[in-house]
Amino acid sequence: MSTAVSLTGGRGSRIRRAAGIARYVLTCWKLNLAAAMEYRASFFMLAVMMFVNNCIWLVFWAIFFNRFPAVNGWELRDVMLLWGISAGGFGWSSVLFGNYPRIAPIVANGELDVFLTQPKPLLLNVLVSRMSLTAMGDFLFGVAIYALAGEHTLIGAAKYALGLLISGLLFLFVTLAAGSLAFFFGHAEGMAFQLFNGLVALSTYPTDIFKGTARIVLFTVLPAGFISYAPIGLLRRFDGTFVWLAAAAVAAFGLLAVSLFAVGVRRYTSGNRMAMRG
Amino acid sequence: MMTPALAKWHKYRAVGIITVKQQLHYRVDFIVRALFLLLILFIFIHLWRAAYTSSGSETIEGFALNQIIWYLVFAEAVTMACPQLCVRIEEEVKQGEVAVRLIRPIAYNGFHYMTYLAEAGLRFIVQLAAGSAIAWAYMGSPLFGWGWAGLAALLPGAFTVAFLLNLAVALLAFWVEETRGMEFVLQKLNFTVGGMLLPLELMPDWLERVCGWLPFQAVLYFPARMGVAFDGGRLAAFLLTQWGWAAALAVLCAFIYRRGVRKLNVNGG
Amino acid sequence: MLALEVEGLVKTFLVKRKPEGFKASVRSLLRPEWTEKTAVAGIRLKAEAGETLAFLGPNGAGKSTTIKMLTGILHPSSGHARVLGMVPWKERAALAFRIGAVFGQKSQLWYHLPPADTFELLSRMYELGRADYLRRRDELVERFELGPYMQTPVRKLSLGERMRCEIAAAFLHRPELLFLDEPTIGLDVIVKRRIRELIAERNREEGTTVFLTSHDPSDIEQLCRRAVVIHHGTVIFDAPVERLKREVLTCKTVRLKLRDGARLLEKLPGGVRAAEAGPSAWRLSVDTTTASIEDVLAAFVGHCAIEDMTIEDPPMEDVIRAVYEGKAGGRPAEEGTV
Repeated sequence: MSTAVSLTGGRGSRIRRAAGIARYVLTCWKLNLAAAMEYRASFFMLAVMMFVNNCIWLVFWAIFFNRFPAVNGWELRDVMLLWGISAGGFGWSSVLFGNYPRIAPIVANGELDVFLTQPKPLLLNVLVSRMSLTAMGDFLFGVAIYALAGEHTLIGAAKYALGLLISGLLFLFVTLAAGSLAFFFGHAEGMAFQLFNGLVALSTYPTDIFKGTARIVLFTVLPAGFISYAPIGLLRRFDGTFVWLAAAAVAAFGLLAVSLFAVGVRRYTSGNRMAMRG
Repeated sequence: MMTPALAKWHKYRAVGIITVKQQLHYRVDFIVRALFLLLILFIFIHLWRAAYTSSGSETIEGFALNQIIWYLVFAEAVTMACPQLCVRIEEEVKQGEVAVRLIRPIAYNGFHYMTYLAEAGLRFIVQLAAGSAIAWAYMGSPLFGWGWAGLAALLPGAFTVAFLLNLAVALLAFWVEETRGMEFVLQKLNFTVGGMLLPLELMPDWLERVCGWLPFQAVLYFPARMGVAFDGGRLAAFLLTQWGWAAALAVLCAFIYRRGVRKLNVNGG
Repeated sequence: MLALEVEGLVKTFLVKRKPEGFKASVRSLLRPEWTEKTAVAGIRLKAEAGETLAFLGPNGAGKSTTIKMLTGILHPSSGHARVLGMVPWKERAALAFRIGAVFGQKSQLWYHLPPADTFELLSRMYELGRADYLRRRDELVERFELGPYMQTPVRKLSLGERMRCEIAAAFLHRPELLFLDEPTIGLDVIVKRRIRELIAERNREEGTTVFLTSHDPSDIEQLCRRAVVIHHGTVIFDAPVERLKREVLTCKTVRLKLRDGARLLEKLPGGVRAAEAGPSAWRLSVDTTTASIEDVLAAFVGHCAIEDMTIEDPPMEDVIRAVYEGKAGGRPAEEGTV
């Protein structure tokens, strides 16, 4: 960066830098999309596949609620919206920041080297350099569910968007935090993957079937509860406490994830894996 | 001197044995799958408990809570035991390894059938052990008497039908680059109309009737249902239906294979 | 007896065209364009039983595709072939008992298991009698010196060790005809030489017909008696290796690196030409029809302070060019693609 710019005004240079990063991120997204188009057959298929997958789960729930009209206060519509928010949130975060579920293997395999040599913010650069194709279907599914079962008012749309935001960010931050453990432990890959799977699975079942310890886990270590309670605490009626707690959880996990990654990078030894293999 | 039939038997048995040997090297994968099974069962134990409590009755369509959970254990163990045949065959075609298979004096489909059975059998035992651990702890002992025998009797047919369904899709790799999409749909059909998540009796009547006409029930519903509620009269019917589907699907697979192998493009020319 | 008889064999593939650019990719997602690619364009070939035949050509010339048709893996687009009297793509299973194949880049050994397990499987696969199998296995283990590796998981073997196991495994059922597709690719010079010797020995002792593809001319010189060169899917040269050597592989490249301050000979020996000259590094082209490589080397070693020296065969591309330039008088291609 030229010193002249920073002398004339720190603010101007910062804006210029931010604009540079934004342009870079946009280019990454565009390239990812173009690369996805290269595999034309897979592209549509993968997206449609995920969409169908989610629909099939809804079929299960429809059958289930046909037998048991209400379970602990939950009805079919709630579970549909739960799937909408969970899949939709997972969808947008994995489309835009597709590398977050892969942080642990990236660290363990020494794949950070390439990113470390590039003049862009490391974490952001890693995250945007992959786009999940299946997740496109998840996101569209989320939107379709809103269209089908959501509340079609301005406030309803805003609440749904907020739900998507919370859910996407939680997936992103929790998985990132778990993945960053790979900086510290040798065999964190498997564990990070399990945590991620657990989070995704748990975020698609009604929160209220769990009691006691399981429920505490859902709102702390594996905070799927902040996603899975959204149909009740955010959409059905706006429960201020829940929403603020969810926002706080997002912030807390965001902070945790970013700090773990930042501290971890300082310990990053790209070569250790090779040494182990030898 | 070995008779041709005996030599054939030894040939396919050898494929099974070497598969089991090789599979024993994938311990981490076993554990990962078992952990996932535990999580799913944990969730469903809570879900069904809540559902039974909400409904206020002891049994639903003749199934007690205990039976529903063990049904899920059996069905999930079969599901998790099934190898990813589509991925394997697709990779073989893409990487050109199909060449190494085709120069052997063994049927391509037969080779894969043996590896499938061997792998599925081994994995089933592991998954069943893992699933039993959690179900036993929450639900009490699985005293299903003859049910276990029924389960065992229906397993070979279940894995055979599962294999043939997957093979029919996997062989499409001879034509198209990507079979995952269709494999996915197949998997999901097993989940729903196959009765993985709930026995067919719990479905709406019209859907139950539809499922009765599809092959998917033979994979998960038959063994799991017989396992938790033995019914000697229906066992024969189940077996007959299972192997009937197996025969029909085998004909279909042979047909697809014969057409596909002429179309084959082996990479790396 | 003829081991191989091929007439007018053709194989064409349809290949999807992948256009560049975002819009074009979207368009081709909906309507992909196909182009026809000819991999093998009418090959004619005969091989006697017991022959060692080298099938040469640069990458993409159609070598592997031809092998895959001759082993029955691929159905040809047109043409005829008989392998050991059978039409491979019609009688693949029956033929499979009598032929063997090694694909250099595709392992037949089970990755996590020791080679002994794969041998056991193959004995069942080819329906060998127990006593016969054990005798044969021990014989091959001894000849190929596999003793130390038979009980080691394949993933822990080096490429060279693995390749020796692969080739021994291919000989297990005493194939009458063995196809070797780039068997020495990626191996170092010493391992390559050893593998060639082992294959040549089997050919001598058991009369196995060997059909070998390679893009490395040294494979052929040491192993084969006959060379067939293909290019763009057609045979452009078919003659004894001796003739290929005499007429096409007529030069070797010698690279010399001299010690600091050392000088090369005042006058180069006859048949030697300096292709690249430098004060200490030289690339010399030796015409082997007029000068023997031993004499040339002796002259250098005796008179210059040499730090490093390599001898190379001309690359396949040069061989092809030489064939086209008409230096070679081997049977020309039926329909030249020049």
